[in-house]
Amino acid sequence: MIGYIPGRSPLHRAHPYTTLALATGLLLGAFALTRPAEVWLLVAAAAVYAAVGGVLRSSARTALLLSLPIWALLFVVHGLLGPEPRAAVGPVAVSTAGVERALVLGGRITAIVLGFLTALSTASPHRLVEAMSARGVPFGRTFLLASTLTVLPRMRERAAQILEAQQCRGLRLGGSPLARLRALGPLALPLVLGALAEVDEQVLALDARGAAGGGRRTPLDPPPDSPAQRVLRWSVLALVVAAYTWKFWRLRG
Amino acid sequence: MSAHPLVALERATFSYPGAARPALADVTFAVAAGEVVVVTGAAGAGASTLLLVATGFAPRVVGGTLSGTRRTAARRCGVVFARPWTQLTGLCSTVRDEVAFGPASLGLPRDEVLAAAARALDRLGIAHLADREPAHLSGGELQRVVVAAALALGPEVLALDDPAAELDPEAADALYAALPGLASAGTAVLLATPDLERAAGVATRAVEMRDGRIVAEGAPARVLAGTAVARLARAAGCPAPWPVDVAALLVRADMGRGR
Repeated sequence: MIGYIPGRSPLHRAHPYTTLALATGLLLGAFALTRPAEVWLLVAAAAVYAAVGGVLRSSARTALLLSLPIWALLFVVHGLLGPEPRAAVGPVAVSTAGVERALVLGGRITAIVLGFLTALSTASPHRLVEAMSARGVPFGRTFLLASTLTVLPRMRERAAQILEAQQCRGLRLGGSPLARLRALGPLALPLVLGALAEVDEQVLALDARGAAGGGRRTPLDPPPDSPAQRVLRWSVLALVVAAYTWKFWRLRG
Repeated sequence: MSAHPLVALERATFSYPGAARPALADVTFAVAAGEVVVVTGAAGAGASTLLLVATGFAPRVVGGTLSGTRRTAARRCGVVFARPWTQLTGLCSTVRDEVAFGPASLGLPRDEVLAAAARALDRLGIAHLADREPAHLSGGELQRVVVAAALALGPEVLALDDPAAELDPEAADALYAALPGLASAGTAVLLATPDLERAAGVATRAVEMRDGRIVAEGAPARVLAGTAVARLARAAGCPAPWPVDVAALLVRADMGRGR
């Protein structure tokens, strides 16, 4: 499941900037940390973030599905083809430095994916638009960000409709990987062409409704912010700065 | 043509980007407040394009080239297309917010925005949907939301491009029934539709297009009487007003048999 899931968790009720700040903190933190233990501590933090949002199960499942192929690739590239020295793991001799590298890279990807899936699941696009309007952000930028949050669920819904229609016309989805690959054609083409055709109408409709005016939008129901949330956001920023400072200090040492 | 038009095109020729031939050719046309003008023609005749050019969305938004003159006294034009789901912002969690989106984009005070949305919902008879989520509405309800969203901005010219294509007959009747009210409130309504029977009931003027040109213009009874179905009905001795589409002809025939 990728996309907003309505709920009443603390993350759902938080100001959208707080939710996004935490996800961005995970992203930036992932690149500041360089040791497997540190990175996996960050993965644990991402899991706590998802649990607070009440979406741990769905986000972790999707994050694993997305990260597992990358994990496999990293293990082959770094673990099997990495530099000496090697250690025997069953019948295979793996590079210890390579495995360490794979753990860092895989952990980073897992933390980032889990963090952003959680943000997508808990930050309501509507509340984000209201929050950005309240801050006077031009609608073009607001729309760019908010529509990014909604594009995947919309595409998934459309893909399901197209698949149903194609199945009614005899498309078979099962079978060998090659047959499944062939089935992508009747899905991808209408999906892309349909989306492009609809974009024209949506641009016209948004323009007709004053979205292109460039003026400041009136927020109708801006989400409440609080000093505690502002402190949390500044703390995330401070932690990220501290992590990079530590990284560069260690590199110089 | 009206004495004080809200929009006037003079010898307008419009081509879409990359198109070999113009979609609108040498068109002179005007529409005034209070009119409901139905624009008819076969697919590709240029009816939709006439709406886009008249309302100024072409070439400003869709691109392309326009020659000739377009004059307008309208400060704001609205447009509604056939597919309601392409016209939603996708960013609003209630119908009220969706309808209020336009006035909010103009930066009006919050109270005015909500009042404009409430008025538009009332005019379309969908105030009861205000707290519903747009994604959970039927096609007919959604299309009325889209029309309300267009009306919330108070457009002087409202272009409706086949607005009942996704509606069930009752919802289509309700939508068409609302058009004379909009016109009498001062809105100029431009309607491109193949649903001539319903359009004939509300239009004050009809325009027929072929190959991007206006080939007939005038009272609906005169222009629409030229459709193949109306000619057939006339030849068969049907009393006026003649049906202008096949469905209406069949209904009339059925009624004749029952008499």
